[in-house]
Amino acid sequence: MKRKLAVLCMLSLTAVTVLSGCGGSKTNQDTAKDGKTKIRFASWDVAEDVDRQQELVDKFNLAHDDIEVTLEAYGQDFDTKISAGMGSGDTPDVMYMWNYPSYYQGLEPLGSFIEKEGESYKANFYDTLWNYNSMDGQIYGIPIGFTTHTLFYNKDLFQEAGISEPTNDWTWDDLQQAAKTISEKTSAKGFAFPMKPDPYDFEMYLWSNGAAYCDKEGNLEGNINSKESEEVFQMFQDMEKEGYAVATEKSGTDEFRSGAVAMYVYGAWSINSLKEDGLNYGVVAIPAFANAGKDSVSILSSSGISISKDSKNKEAAWEFVKFWTNEESNKARIGLELPVLSSVVESEKIMDQPEYAPFYLMLEQSTGYTSASFIIKEWSELSEKLSLSFEEVFNPSSLQSVPDVLNSAAQK
Amino acid sequence: MKQKKFIRNATPYFFITPWIIGFLVFTIGPLILSLGMSFFDWPLTSDPVFKGFGNYTEMFTKDTQFWKSLTISLKYAAIFVPLNMAIALFLAMLITQPVNGVKIYRTIFYIPAVISGVAVSIIWGWILNGDYGVLNYLLSLLGITGPRWLVDPAWALFAVILASAFGVGTMMLIFYTDIKNIPIDLYEASSLDGASPAKQFFCITLPIITPTILFNLITSVISSFQQVTLVMLLTGGGPLKSTYFYGLYTYNNAFKHHKLGYASANAWVMFIIILILTALIFKSSSTWVFYETEAKNGKKKKGGKK
Repeated sequence: MKRKLAVLCMLSLTAVTVLSGCGGSKTNQDTAKDGKTKIRFASWDVAEDVDRQQELVDKFNLAHDDIEVTLEAYGQDFDTKISAGMGSGDTPDVMYMWNYPSYYQGLEPLGSFIEKEGESYKANFYDTLWNYNSMDGQIYGIPIGFTTHTLFYNKDLFQEAGISEPTNDWTWDDLQQAAKTISEKTSAKGFAFPMKPDPYDFEMYLWSNGAAYCDKEGNLEGNINSKESEEVFQMFQDMEKEGYAVATEKSGTDEFRSGAVAMYVYGAWSINSLKEDGLNYGVVAIPAFANAGKDSVSILSSSGISISKDSKNKEAAWEFVKFWTNEESNKARIGLELPVLSSVVESEKIMDQPEYAPFYLMLEQSTGYTSASFIIKEWSELSEKLSLSFEEVFNPSSLQSVPDVLNSAAQK
Repeated sequence: MKQKKFIRNATPYFFITPWIIGFLVFTIGPLILSLGMSFFDWPLTSDPVFKGFGNYTEMFTKDTQFWKSLTISLKYAAIFVPLNMAIALFLAMLITQPVNGVKIYRTIFYIPAVISGVAVSIIWGWILNGDYGVLNYLLSLLGITGPRWLVDPAWALFAVILASAFGVGTMMLIFYTDIKNIPIDLYEASSLDGASPAKQFFCITLPIITPTILFNLITSVISSFQQVTLVMLLTGGGPLKSTYFYGLYTYNNAFKHHKLGYASANAWVMFIIILILTALIFKSSSTWVFYETEAKNGKKKKGGKK
């Protein structure tokens, strides 16, 4: 009996501590004793990139007597932690952001803040970027970095096959010709593309051929299974069937780095590792569709910086956001991210660097498209279904008929 | 006097309070919370909405992926558990043999169990690569064209099983310690009677280690249902969703699609399935698990009746 009582006492004691602990954190004071406003800033970067960010944060803290920013590096778990933070009302004040459709309800609209800064503030950013940092016409994040997709090619393999290198004016026909020759004359394959493409990325090919996954209302029927859309999927499947292109398990970077393929389409993410490898590569715009009568279009993978809706110190947070997106910080992050301010691109002469210029060329060619992920409410689930459909088309052990797959995808 | 007694009785509980607190806050608390959450629709960025058993009925009636993922996980457990135990037992038998340098083998067999699941996934991703992987290279030396393990849906599940069997070391060690504990005179006596090594294994070793087999069976059934690291990193659920395990399905519902309530319901269904399976195994254990102490007690009783 006594023992039971003891256990009960212990349990209730712990329960009380736990409960009071929970209650305590809610009334947490955001202003510290020294009068500084505390701002929590969450980043997804890892390793040395975090060190560089910490330096920037320290610089900001030194320059501001009244604000203290702490950097929280969430790394790989970024999305999980932000989700959990939003769920429990414990979101960092300022955070990196890319997936606006999923999170915008937890973010502060920044329209009024931007207005206060004047027209020139907004105009300095590349216009296309705003589209990708907005939801339903409201801006929720200030652009920090981006990448478009471009065509990477291995110069040595082109030389070995004795053909001229790709240019910004190439069409897919040119690419196919070159890929065939390279497959015949060298031990490498001509072209690589992912067999399980991220539906978000793949829509750029549809745009380039005058199609899209859905219309403005989000209807798939008649869009994803349109003639133009089918042409795109058919072209990739045919390249694979004819043997001069390979469908890769991942992005294709591994195959490209090892010299097993001569060309692939990817973002700026791989540039650093390609440089380390000392690979002799070039970058040009994605080929256009000959019959589409327009330049190729790229999807944007953009990152921005947002303020939490629940933040108690939005003014101070905005002060930090401004610092993080100004010219100086843009310059400091070159190498981590492609700068988003046209003034920085100009002053750093980025357009003169042949491995970076095509990304900006693609950026200019890609104005005015809205990704289906911003239109369709349940994108993450649809994306998973589309991903399966695309894999049915491109996986070498299935290679299903394009019209069949797309027609059934349109019903989802 | 009374107070003293109370303190004396309570002392052990004071010692385990740190653990109790951890258990309540990090295990029981979230457990209860998730049970509650499974009755809500909670898209994270907005407030939860109560929907009763809505999540559960949706799962069983509308969601085809639920059944698919459940089947995949069951299939995985059905192949992985016996295979893994057989390998573990085989290795344990090997490292109990009196061979020179047995300690080195023991270490080698155990090392994979120390490596983190993430590293294992990456290593196996390279080994299993259809075009450049080591495994297919070795097979090609034997004149066999290996399948594209992680691309062909017919082979992917097997590839995952292969990769997870890599972590067999822990189970091997448990078998090993138990086998080492078997009194040597049993073997000596039986060999005098002319029992072959195979006979010794089936009539002495195997019956004596049945309690360990039971333990390993239960833990590996549980862990095989919870397998998620490997499929997340090695196959991502593909190719063509052929390795979209139940654990991955739950994880994606929660953190990719932000359906926390629904994912909680998923998790609870899995919990109940594991509970039933474990109960069945326990129930069946009376017919095949042999406890030495029980046997001795039984004999004494018989003697007493006489």
